[in-house]
Amino acid sequence: MLEAIGSGTISLAMAKPSELPSVDDFLPPEILFQGTPFAMNRIILVRFVAMVVILLVLGITAARAKLIPSRWQGAIEWVIEFIRDSVVYDTLGEVRGKRYVPMITTIFLTILVFNLCGIIPGMNIAATATITMPLVFALWTFFQYMITGIREQGVWGYFKAELFPAGVPWPLYIILTPIQLLEMIVVKPASLTIRLFANMVAGHLLVAVSLAFAQFYVIEATNKLLALAGIGWFALGFALTAFEIFVAALQAYIFAILSTVYISMSYPEED
Amino acid sequence: MDIITLAEVSGNLSILGYGIAALGPALGLGIAVGKTVESMARQPEISGQLRTTMFIGLALIEVLALLGFVALFIA
Amino acid sequence: MNAVAAGNGIELFIPKLYDIVWSLIILLILAVFFYKFFMPKFQAIFDERSAKIEGNIQKAQKARDDADEAKKEYEDQLGKARVEASQIRDDARAEASRIVADARNRAETEANQITENAQRSLRSQQQQALVSLKGEVGTLATALAGKILGSQLQDNAVQSSMIDSIIADAGKGESDGQKA
Repeated sequence: MLEAIGSGTISLAMAKPSELPSVDDFLPPEILFQGTPFAMNRIILVRFVAMVVILLVLGITAARAKLIPSRWQGAIEWVIEFIRDSVVYDTLGEVRGKRYVPMITTIFLTILVFNLCGIIPGMNIAATATITMPLVFALWTFFQYMITGIREQGVWGYFKAELFPAGVPWPLYIILTPIQLLEMIVVKPASLTIRLFANMVAGHLLVAVSLAFAQFYVIEATNKLLALAGIGWFALGFALTAFEIFVAALQAYIFAILSTVYISMSYPEED
Repeated sequence: MDIITLAEVSGNLSILGYGIAALGPALGLGIAVGKTVESMARQPEISGQLRTTMFIGLALIEVLALLGFVALFIA
Repeated sequence: MNAVAAGNGIELFIPKLYDIVWSLIILLILAVFFYKFFMPKFQAIFDERSAKIEGNIQKAQKARDDADEAKKEYEDQLGKARVEASQIRDDARAEASRIVADARNRAETEANQITENAQRSLRSQQQQALVSLKGEVGTLATALAGKILGSQLQDNAVQSSMIDSIIADAGKGESDGQKA
């Protein structure tokens, strides 16, 4: 008796859509060239589409760029100047920063467009939503700041400044040095990677779960009163989609500025 | 289901772990950002430097939450 | 929400070989695009624009300087012209008053001369009249007196002295009458 009531309530409360989003969304099956190093899955196709869009849109904009900008060109120029002035020059200064402007611009614009794929109908998954793409960007940053540090301070000088920070009593080096080494080699690139990846995964799951529940309550559920709840879920999904646009831009910005900051940390202390 | 079991917690326990892992970094981020904004208001002329320093700190704090996120999926 | 964190979650964090390959290819293409085409193009646009703006500012500065110079020149000329005009006006005025004074002088001189001439001719005519009158009156008086006195006047000396005294009387009477 008790069991029957219990299971009844639970089955009502636990009624679930038949198809919930899962991590499998981020592990799509290979659909082209299976089994070769050039196998392609859905996310890679999305990535290619995003790349072609970037090449076409920005390429045409750049090819048609005039001295007196049109409205669209003005917007693109605003983005370029924002990255150059607010991200790179503010952090590195103009003399040091000049060399890194193309890199940071590449990182920012690419990540921005790749992230935005997550909310475009038909793609519905960010092109940065496998660990690899953020990892590649993070490795680029990693090599860039290693190379910068070695170029500016020499191999020995750079590692000495990083691993044995000046002004610390020597017994602390026993603890500090492994942490610094770990941070330099693992934590910086890994945190860049996982931050972007986790945001994309979480965003996709939130939006997809909201919309799946909306669909479940409005269409699949037998109890039509639940359609009201479905509308609530849909509103939530709508709001989260808008939030995803914001997150896409924010993560691109954070990735860009952290790359710049890591590069600036490779320069010798100014004082 | 056993008659003794009146309430059952089902699902993956690591979700709770992630919630706890997010708590500390959330507080830390709040404090760091709040203090930075305060300093920026007090000395707007060095806001660029403050922002850079803030981002370094945020990156370090966030690693903890990110570890929680990884643990959620790995466990 | 079991499905979200279902067992194969760790696979999320393991990059696959083909994923790495394609990511690198895509990133390489995009990086080449940005480094070789996009950024230089916009950098060129920015540089050109700032150069142009700088050039325009300089040109404007030059134009303003030129305008200032022209204005100064114009104002100088204007001032000079004004001074000249007033000078000319003064000259003209002086000339005019000189001409007027000349004319007046000449007119006065002429008038004086005319008056003098008139007086002189008047005086000479008077003299003439006096002389002719003296002759005629003498003859007349002699004739008259001869007729009256007859022989009494045989002596020329008496005759002439008497005539003279008569004429003197007549002349005196005549000049008194003229003066009156």
